[in-house]
Formats: sequence, C-alpha cells, structure tokens
Amino acid sequence: MSKLSQTRQADDQSYWAVVRRQFMKNRMAVWSLRFVYVIIVVGVLADFLANDLPIACGYKGKTYLPVLNSYGVSLGISKWPPELANVDWHQLSYDWALLPPVPYSPQYMDNNNSGFKAPFGKEQVVPSFRFTHFLGTDKLGRDVLSGMIHGTRVAMLVGIISMSIAMVIGILLGSMAGYFGDARMKMSRIRLWLNIVFFFLAIYYAFIVRSYTLSDALSVSVGGFLLQLLISLLIFTAIMALANLLVIPLKRIPFLRTQVNIPMDILISRLIEVKVSVPTLLLILSICAIMSKPSIFITMIVIGFLGWTGIAKYVRAELLRVRSLEYIEAAQALGLSEWRIILRHAIPNSLTSVLITVAFGVAGAILTESTLSFLGIGVAPEQVTWGSLLSSARSDASAWWLAVFPGMAIFITVTVFNLLGEGLTDAMDPRLKQ
Amino acid sequence: MFKYVIKRIVYFIPTLAIIALVTFALSKMAPGDPVKLALGNKDTGGEAGQAAEKIASEKAYAAMAEKMGLHLPAFYFSITTGAVPDTIYRYIKRSERETLLRLIDQYGNWEAIEQYYRNIRRLQYSIYEVKQDSSTYQPGRILLSQINQLFQLYRDQEIIASISSMQLAAQQSPAFAEVKNRIFELESSYRKVKSEATPFKNYIPAFHFYGINNQFHRWLFGDKPWFFGEDKPGQSAGFLRGDFGFSYTDKRPVWSKMKDALPWTLLLNFISILLAYTIAIPLGVMSARYKGSTMDNVSTFTLFLLNSLPVFWVATLLIMFFTTPEYGMNWFPNYGLGEVTSDMNWLDIFIERGAHLVLPVFCLTYGSWAYLSRQMRGGVLAVFRQDYIRTARAKGLPESRVVWKHAFRNSLIPIITIFASIFPAAIAGSFVIENIFAIPGMGKLSYEALFARDYPLVFTVMLLSAILTLIGNLVADILYAVVDPRISFSK
Repeated sequence: MSKLSQTRQADDQSYWAVVRRQFMKNRMAVWSLRFVYVIIVVGVLADFLANDLPIACGYKGKTYLPVLNSYGVSLGISKWPPELANVDWHQLSYDWALLPPVPYSPQYMDNNNSGFKAPFGKEQVVPSFRFTHFLGTDKLGRDVLSGMIHGTRVAMLVGIISMSIAMVIGILLGSMAGYFGDARMKMSRIRLWLNIVFFFLAIYYAFIVRSYTLSDALSVSVGGFLLQLLISLLIFTAIMALANLLVIPLKRIPFLRTQVNIPMDILISRLIEVKVSVPTLLLILSICAIMSKPSIFITMIVIGFLGWTGIAKYVRAELLRVRSLEYIEAAQALGLSEWRIILRHAIPNSLTSVLITVAFGVAGAILTESTLSFLGIGVAPEQVTWGSLLSSARSDASAWWLAVFPGMAIFITVTVFNLLGEGLTDAMDPRLKQ
Repeated sequence: MFKYVIKRIVYFIPTLAIIALVTFALSKMAPGDPVKLALGNKDTGGEAGQAAEKIASEKAYAAMAEKMGLHLPAFYFSITTGAVPDTIYRYIKRSERETLLRLIDQYGNWEAIEQYYRNIRRLQYSIYEVKQDSSTYQPGRILLSQINQLFQLYRDQEIIASISSMQLAAQQSPAFAEVKNRIFELESSYRKVKSEATPFKNYIPAFHFYGINNQFHRWLFGDKPWFFGEDKPGQSAGFLRGDFGFSYTDKRPVWSKMKDALPWTLLLNFISILLAYTIAIPLGVMSARYKGSTMDNVSTFTLFLLNSLPVFWVATLLIMFFTTPEYGMNWFPNYGLGEVTSDMNWLDIFIERGAHLVLPVFCLTYGSWAYLSRQMRGGVLAVFRQDYIRTARAKGLPESRVVWKHAFRNSLIPIITIFASIFPAAIAGSFVIENIFAIPGMGKLSYEALFARDYPLVFTVMLLSAILTLIGNLVADILYAVVDPRISFSK
C-alpha cells in the first residue's frame, strides 16, 4: 500500500470526515445545505436582483454603474453625478440599460399598480412584459417579488447576526460552567475583590458616564452607535485589565493570596434558569417596544442576546464530558493555563455539536423575527421583511399572493434549517459511527 | 424528597429577584410619562392669565404621581455621577428630570442648575399671571410656548435662542414688566450655570442609599402594613400580595382586567392541550411500533413539516380562505367569539362559540401536537431498546401488551415534563393567535397593553408567567420522581 493511500485512509477516519460522510448520505440534509447557499447568494446579491437602479446604463452619452454607485454613496466614499442625483429611475430615458431581473426596489410604489394587483394579472398596467409584477403588488403598489428578495437578505442577516451574538455568549458561559464546574474555578482573594470592584467602576466609566453619548448616537444612526459602543467596550476592557494588573503586586500579601472557590456552574445555571423562565417573545416585544426608533438591527441584536441559553446548555453538557477526558488531563499536567485549555483544546472538541444548536437556533431566530415584523413591532415601517409582507395580507382577503408567497418563504427557510439540524444530529450520533 | 422541594423553593428566591429587577428596570426604561398616560395624556398647558388652572393641573399631576408611587426614589440605592444630587427623584416629571440630568451632564454644578430651573418655574407663573387682553394675547402665547419648551431644552444654543425670543416678546406690552424682570433673572442664572461649571464632578461615582421607601419595594412588597396597623388609603399591597397596580389606560385594577381575559385563554388552551395529547400519544406510539413502515414515514415527515410551519402564516391562510366569501369556502366566522344572547339555549351557545373556536384551536394545537408526537415516538423507541422489553417479547407476550403495558408507561416521562412547560404558556396566552382571531384573552390583552404603553399590565403578565414557569419546572421534576420510582432526589 502506498504512503498516499495510507494517509488518505487515516484522514477518512477522522471525526469530521465521518460526520461529513454521514451527513452526505442524508439527501434531505444535503438539499437543505444547498438551499442555504441559495439564501446566502440571494441575500448578498439582493440589490442586483431587485432594484429600481439599473446595474449598468448609458445616459446622455455616458456609462454608469448605478447599483455599485449607490453602495459608494451609502458608504460616503462617492457621490451621485449631478444629472443622476434625486431622479426617479423609472422615468429616465436611457440610451441603453441593463436592468436587474426585478426592476423594482421593495419600497418603490408603482402608482399605476397600487391596490393589490394579482400576479401575472391582466389588470396590471406595465410598459412591457419586462416590468410585470410577477408576484403581484401590495396596497401601495410595491412589488412583492422584490420584497421577497430583500426579505431574504433580512432573514440571512437575522440568522448571521443574532446567532453570532448568541454563539459568543453561549459558548463562553456554557464552557465556563461546564469546564470549571462548581469546584475548579479558583482565584486569589484579591483578584476576586478587585474584579468585582473594578467591574462596577468599569460599568460606571464605560456606560453610565457615557450614557448620553451612547443614546444620542443611537438616535442618529446604528453605525454611529456601534462605534460609540466599541469605545465604551474599550474603556471597559482597559479598566478590567488595570484591575488584573493591580493584582500582581498585591498578591505578595499572604492574606490576599488565599485561593477562594467560585461556583461557576451554580451561578451560570441560575442565569440560564432566569432567562428560560421569562417568556421570550413577550420580553423581546417589550424591549423592542421601548426603543424610541425601531430598527431591524436592534431587533436582531436583542434576539441574539436572548437566544444564547440553548447553546450554553449544550456546550456546558459537552464540556462536562470533555473535561474528564485524558487529553485534557494531559494538557493540565503539562501546565497549560486553564483558559488556553478551554479555548484551544476543550471548546474545539465540542464545536461540532454546537453546530446542531446553531442550525436550530437560526430557524428559531428567523421565526421570531418574522413573528415580530408580522406583529409590526421592532421594524421601521419602511423596512420590508417576509413578516411585514405577510401581515399586509390581512388588510385584503382577496390578495392571496401576499399571504402565500412570503409565508412559503418563511416556512421553507425554517424547515431547511430544521432539516440541517436534524441531519447534523444524525450525522454526529455516536451510535452510527463504525 | 421534601428536602429537595424546599431546596428548590429556596433557589427560586434569587431567580425571582433577578426577574423582578429586570422587569422593573424595563418598566423604568420604557419611554413616555406614565403619569401623563394615566391622566389621559392631557396637555398641562393653558392660556396666559389662567394661573389658577395651571396650578390645579400641576396639583392633579402631583396627586396622580403620588397615587402611582412615583414620588419615591426608584430603587433602594442609586449609583450616579457625583454631580447628580440624591434628591433628583423629587422632580417627578420625567421630561423635566431628564433635562436636568442632561444639564448636569454638561455643567456638573447642581446648585446653579437648580436655581436656573427654579427661575424657569417662576417665570412661567409670572407669565400665567399676566391678564389677557388684546395687547398681551399674541406675545403671551409666544412666551408660553417658549417657556414650556424651555423645560425640555438642554442644548446651549437652543436655550439662548429661546431666552432671547422671550425677551423680544416681553417688550411688546407694558403688562410684561414683571415678566421682563424674571427673564433677566433667568438669563443671569443661566449664565452662572455656564460660568461656574464643574464638569469634572461627572467623573466621580456617587452612591446614594434611600432605604425601603422606594418604588421597587412598594411595587413588589407594598407599603401596607403586613400584619397589624392601620391601612391608609392610597397604599399598595404590592405584587407579592396580589396587588398588581392599576392599568394606565382605563384605571381598572390589573387583576380585574386579567380576570376577564383569563377564562378565554384557559378555555382555548385547555381544549388545545387536550386535543394535542389525545391525538399525539397514540400516534407517537403507533408510529414507533411500526417503525419504518409507510405510515411511520409519512407521519414523521408530516409532523416534521407541521413543526416548522409558522403559526401566524397558517392562521392568516385559514382566515383568508375559510372565513371570507372570496374563494367560495366561507365556512367559519372570522373574528372574535360570537355573540351570545339571553334567549339562546345551551346548544345554540355551544354551536356559536364552537364555530368561532375551531380555527384558533386548530392553530394552537397543530404545533404542540407535532412536537408531542415526535417526543412520544422518540420516547417509545428509546424504551424499545431496553432489556426488559426484549424479555417481555421473549416470554411470548403479544406485541400490543408489550407496547401498552410495558413500553408505554415508561415512555410517558418526557411527555410529563412538556406538560409542565405548557402550563405557563396557557397564562401568557398565545400572543399571535389571539391577536389574529381577535379573541379577548391574555395574549391580546398584553399585546394591546404593549402598544398603549400600559406597562403595569405587560410586566405583571411577564412576572406571573415567569413564576408559573418556575413552578411548572418544579412540578415536572416532582412528577418525574412520582412516575419513575428509580429517580430519587434524596441524595
């Protein structure tokens, strides 16, 4: 047997390879994964798929790339040429134009087709077949297909943003609870005290003193708010770092050096219990309702901050198992620091199973977000999402297309992520492993 | 066992304390002035020359604030910047307090700011005292609108602009002599605020302790005496003693509003839970018994799809297709619960209510039904792997006896825990379903309260369902031990 085939065989026996093979056997799961790619592509390219602006056009003898230009404008790095500033893109007479497949933005109100025009319906008044509203229009004449495409982007962002937040919090807390348990988190008395005192100081200087700066930034734009939040977090980190630097000289005093035990597992399990016992939807609703200016991004962040418990429970259980494995003992015997063991050795071993919770979590987050926008809470009125499209169906019973298509999109997406989760669960089930 | 229950109940206390704190903090962060809401959002302004009315409305505001307990400090203690005085809570009006805090944040000298604010108030009253006639009417209106704005201004340019426009208006009539003096006072006190600014005070943390006479304590524990002593009118018994406060929108006690809504939610959930269990358990067992058969494959797949079917979509579709004549399937009434008149007999009432309940109950049921069936199937399959099932089969028992007598009972355990989690959901009601079908239950009540910013109701529902979840979890754990004698909590 050649050396090459030997290594390949060794590769094939690795945990990931086994999981991958099992996953690929599951046809539904594979198709779901492909569908997820489609969602991501549609979400990323939404502006090129459905837009008022042409992708490329010739106007008064010059060539423009309006969609790309609009990105530049919203980032503040370029400006509209004067002849294209504040124009109605549908009224321009182009020399030539490469229009997106759906030549409407979700916000564009087609006045000729307002008042619920059915898909392909003969009552639609459009200049040519190219401009047909293929999935009909809503009350204001907005194109449903365009809303669906841009809603895909919202759904994708909900999945990414809220799940990343939930993952960071969940993995951190879950691994701390699982790895340290109730007995293994030890620190010197002085470190504990200083950390508690400086924690309050850090909160004070980072958030209380800067509270008006933060809230003013939030009322202007989400981007500015995130920048200010970053500054606050830097202040917070700096103060906490200072506390831990101060520990080093003070540790010389024997009384302060005494080790105390921190029951991490009890503390974090209690936190999970608190979170789980509050009705999530009502909590999200009331947080979104107290925002003076609703924004889809804040809703996503809130969903993320409230969605970490599932992941934390999973990681905790995994690390309870992992921490007594021999290779962790070996790492401890080598004298590696606890954090290094957690981050480099324990967590990577449990990440595969976190994927399962993440898949289900994305489904849950998309469902929550669409429920919120269906109820009209936490989304700006001009924002078009699957949920808001669906809710507009309630005002006219004859507009079946408004109910069927967006609902179908939510349903399929949620199902796909659930199928992914199921597929991963099956693939990682140790009983199936040879 | 008893010890375990006691231990769990003791564990409730910190959990509940945190939930109560979060709920309270949310209610404090909620925008809008609760006193104004309770007073019906009337503007407390008035015309010039109506000083008496102005004073009356201020008094009404203060009385309402006191009735709601808002004249107290918010919490047992506060951590603020060193520039903020510990008596800032005495500025009951939220908008005024926020302006003051903004000014403190900029200038940091409380004494000067307080003087400035007092001068605004004095100026306001002096404007109200000017008699209205043709020469004072127009400038008086300008003055009033400016002074009422000034209470909310904290940006330097805006304050200066407002003061100078008042000076201009005051010059238009000799009747404003007193007002002019007051404006002058105000201007000099504002200049003092700026010249003697001590913004460094904002970087020194300050801790104020207020004791138990605060809003949080009053909300949770009440200020009525617990065992003996006289009750005074206007005292609250507190959340823990069942006094949930009163609703801002119609001033009814929260409890009485909930009492009206609760029966509908309970009815809906009772029917739906009953249906879900009676369909799900046999289905789950059968599909596990005939694992791999067509019946099992079809039902597993259907249940999986049902599980991820968004309930608001199903509800919208059902309303659209089955309650309107548009598609020729107008089979069910669309909204509400129907009307019951006194001359109807019980059968008519049953039909009327039943017809209205079919769709909402279906929407509430299919999700938990799918979930329960899947759980039941998994439970039975897990039990089938056990040795004692093999033994039962080996000794020649008929399969139905093996399933129902041996496997079924032991696979019930997960189903019991789910029941405990359904219990609090019944109280919070189904937000979405009750709204779509306009059923006056708890979900609709809290949704409407949320939109009307009626926070006593919202946060009561939230805290109550949190408590019920905790109790539900405990009951589930106890039931575990009751159903399965192998589980024991006594070490």
